[in-house]
Amino acid sequence: MPPERPTAPAWWSNDRVGGVILIVIAGLVALDTTTLPIGTLARPGPGYAPLICALILAALGLLVALRRGGAPFSGLRWGEGRHAALILGAGAFAALALERIGFRLTTLAILVFLLGVVERRPPLAVAAVALAISFGGYYLFWNILRVPLPIGPFGI
Amino acid sequence: MIETLQNLALGFSVALSPHVLFYAVLGCIVGTLVGVLPGLGPLAGISLLLPLTFGLSPTTAIVLLAGIYYGAMYGGSTTSILMRIPGEAASVMTCVDGYAMTQKGRAGPALAIAALGSFVAGTLSVVALMLLAPPLAAFALRFGPPEYTALLLLGLIILAYMSSGAMPKTLAMATLGLVLGTIGIDAMSGFIRFTHGVTELGDGIGIVPVAVGLFGLSEILLTAGKDTPPQVYKPKLRELVPSGEDVRRSIAPTLRGSVLGFFIGIIPGSAHIISSFVSYGIEKRISKRPEEFGHGAVEGVAGPESANNAAASGAFVPMLALGVPSGPIPAVMMAALMIHGVAPGPLLMEQQPALVWGFIASMYVGNIVLLILNLPMVGLFVNLLRIPYSYLYPCIVVFCVIGVYAVNSSVVDVWIMIVTGAVGYFLRKLDFDMAPVVLGLILSPMLELSLRQSLAMSAGDYGIFLHRPIAATMLAAVVMLFVLSLWPLIRGGGDWRSRVGLDEKPG
Amino acid sequence: MLRTLTALALLGLVAAPATAQTYPDRPITLVAPFPPGGVADQVGRPLGAAMEKLLKQPVVLQNKPGAGGAVGMASVAQSRPDGYTLLVALSSISIIPEADKLFNRQPAYTMDQLAPVALLSADPTVMVVKADSPWKTVKDFVEDAKKRPGQIAYASSGVYGTLHVAMEMFAVAADIKLRHVPFSGGGPAVTALLGNNVQALASGPGPVLAQIKAGTMRPLAGWGDKRIPALPDVPTFKELGYKDVEFYIWAGLFAPKGTPAPAINTLREATKKAVDDPDFKKTMENQGSPISYLDAPEFQKFWDVDAARLAVAVKKIGKVE
Repeated sequence: MPPERPTAPAWWSNDRVGGVILIVIAGLVALDTTTLPIGTLARPGPGYAPLICALILAALGLLVALRRGGAPFSGLRWGEGRHAALILGAGAFAALALERIGFRLTTLAILVFLLGVVERRPPLAVAAVALAISFGGYYLFWNILRVPLPIGPFGI
Repeated sequence: MIETLQNLALGFSVALSPHVLFYAVLGCIVGTLVGVLPGLGPLAGISLLLPLTFGLSPTTAIVLLAGIYYGAMYGGSTTSILMRIPGEAASVMTCVDGYAMTQKGRAGPALAIAALGSFVAGTLSVVALMLLAPPLAAFALRFGPPEYTALLLLGLIILAYMSSGAMPKTLAMATLGLVLGTIGIDAMSGFIRFTHGVTELGDGIGIVPVAVGLFGLSEILLTAGKDTPPQVYKPKLRELVPSGEDVRRSIAPTLRGSVLGFFIGIIPGSAHIISSFVSYGIEKRISKRPEEFGHGAVEGVAGPESANNAAASGAFVPMLALGVPSGPIPAVMMAALMIHGVAPGPLLMEQQPALVWGFIASMYVGNIVLLILNLPMVGLFVNLLRIPYSYLYPCIVVFCVIGVYAVNSSVVDVWIMIVTGAVGYFLRKLDFDMAPVVLGLILSPMLELSLRQSLAMSAGDYGIFLHRPIAATMLAAVVMLFVLSLWPLIRGGGDWRSRVGLDEKPG
Repeated sequence: MLRTLTALALLGLVAAPATAQTYPDRPITLVAPFPPGGVADQVGRPLGAAMEKLLKQPVVLQNKPGAGGAVGMASVAQSRPDGYTLLVALSSISIIPEADKLFNRQPAYTMDQLAPVALLSADPTVMVVKADSPWKTVKDFVEDAKKRPGQIAYASSGVYGTLHVAMEMFAVAADIKLRHVPFSGGGPAVTALLGNNVQALASGPGPVLAQIKAGTMRPLAGWGDKRIPALPDVPTFKELGYKDVEFYIWAGLFAPKGTPAPAINTLREATKKAVDDPDFKKTMENQGSPISYLDAPEFQKFWDVDAARLAVAVKKIGKVE
């Protein structure tokens, strides 16, 4: 999705934003290694490899940030952002709910939410797909693969 | 030679009895089913289904397990191609060009080429396994930590050829993967690094949740909310079959991938995962049309898929010839053999020829059964794409969640998938490539461990890398490749290829 | 078959919590704190299959790996003590809390959160060298190691892993210094010895028996109280005068502390019968780790002694720089 190129290159290009984020990550990692013994070149300690990686990451982040040109960050369109946030929210709900209300209720809830609320599919279709996937998925894992998936209240 | 043929005839007489053949087919079907589920690969498939074999005779049990194993390998590439969801780490590279082909309406040829490539690679490497196992196994054992370090460095260098993006961005993403890979208990000292109190991160960040997040989930995040929903794909029969051109372009990558994968596969450890990455890098590097890679180049499917499959068979060389559990999958297979009363050891081939050759023959049979099963299934799978995306993606999200959860029963793994999905979405908007992150994450723990093991072996003397011929040869290749990659001007096609050939079999 | 299973499972799930008469009325989960295919799987899956026949309920294995096993063990330690979540643990259950102490870490679990149900197997580790090495006996090895301290390298399954602790236990008793090269598991450690990348290895008998029989590896001594039946000519360290050098790779079944006595008793009864199950027996023997069954009280005693011995060994190893 290359956005139309503006006449003057924007200072905050995509690369610059990405590079700066990488430098910040590298900084945080480097800071975190201070709690670990670094060791020496001949006997690297647990902090050695992470520190080296962080330094390389910072250097490469700088290189990326200094790249000239490139599409401007402000030119990115986030049209699909709302959907993305909703899907991520559903995923986060799954992670929170899975071991509390069990697999079947969790997947039922996510599917009803994504199909019914986000995508506005016909209710009958939503119910059919949600029931089939959540109960069918459970059946597949538990009865065929014998993987115990979490069970919620009332044994569902 | 004649003896080998006699043995093979014995093997086939075992593998082709209707009873055994039934289990081979059953195994392939179940394996495909497991492999199609995101997150569940061959390893999980075999260990989960192992109890099913408790009541069977050793031969049928092993044939069933071999079928599950091959089926899971095939199944993994199916989801990679159709939905950009890597079933396991080794099929990450298939996601790139396989899915690009799907987006161009060429899912059928991609699936067919993947199946054919896997079949050719599987068959060739079983032949190699049969003829060369004992001498190769002895060679594979010489791969200690120093050789491993050199091999992994070679894998890192391959990165430079892997991505279509700008070099600093590719390398930055790989380094990000390396950093992620240092999370968890330090294998050499017992220190816990960067877990910030989350015990579940103690064994490090799993490759599968990250791969599913960065590739599969990020793709859904990018696609689901598009103003114009992705077009429903209605394949015609003719479009399901690869064209002559596809086949012609796939032959050389498949053969190269088979040889490369087999040799990487016999090396003990988990290096077989990188075979598909290395194959992709090489194919891209020597292709006359490198610009097509990442946009649906059929070579980018054929090479990695066959390398991946050949590596899987290669991994059985040390197990069958020496009784060494040389990697996670052979270790599970060995455990399965032992449960059925067969103790794999250096004498296995002499003492239990019917079993070993039955196993080898069942690998042939498994490959053929899968090809027969999979080619007609291409049509079925491609028809999945007829489902409107608004129905398809919520189901994919759910299956990603269960698949990732089921392997380790870990909610933390689900969180990792969601977070990496969000990160992948954002980074892909900024035009960063995701494959190098996964490769970095795979290489990081192995590289650090083998480097520090080497230094522990030598009490801190780096000379260990130069005194050992295999390691020194490979390091020389690393240096040469590095210099070459810095000098784009003197990129020559032929000499580069032969040098990579050297790495695999010095001496 | 599958349908009846589902029906059973669904029926069971709605029912009230366990009582003495009804336990078990729904599926039981055995947690293996290691990845699929690990050692705990090799004991847990056949055990589950054998117990299922006796308890008339599915007994399934769930892999919950992480942090060297700490994740799975902690999850069982903290789970509801109702007899439906059990743990298949190995000797490392006693090592992890000690290693945590060494690093001043909040332990993920404590051993008194878990109640032993039964010991299933206990294999003494055995010390092996390559068959072409110059050492024929432990005496040769110790003399050579004294001549060149820190030069002989051995492989282990990981730092503070069972194979590391076993070897260091011997090294301390023999007053020698060895070079430790940790690998990521027992399999890679065996491979490293075969490939001449290290010179010695402590290993469970299962993985090396075939190598010893084929003449590629030579056993020097065993860590057991008695000689290993499959290796009757190999002396124990105790016989050689290294007392207190005793180490077993064992596997046992645990329940969370506070599990009701009726449930525990049912499980003890079931395990006692399961170890006599011919399929289970054969499976364990085939894997090279024959059953050494101990019922809960004796297992508790065995565990106490073993844990104390390991605690001393881990303290002596100290913090690896």
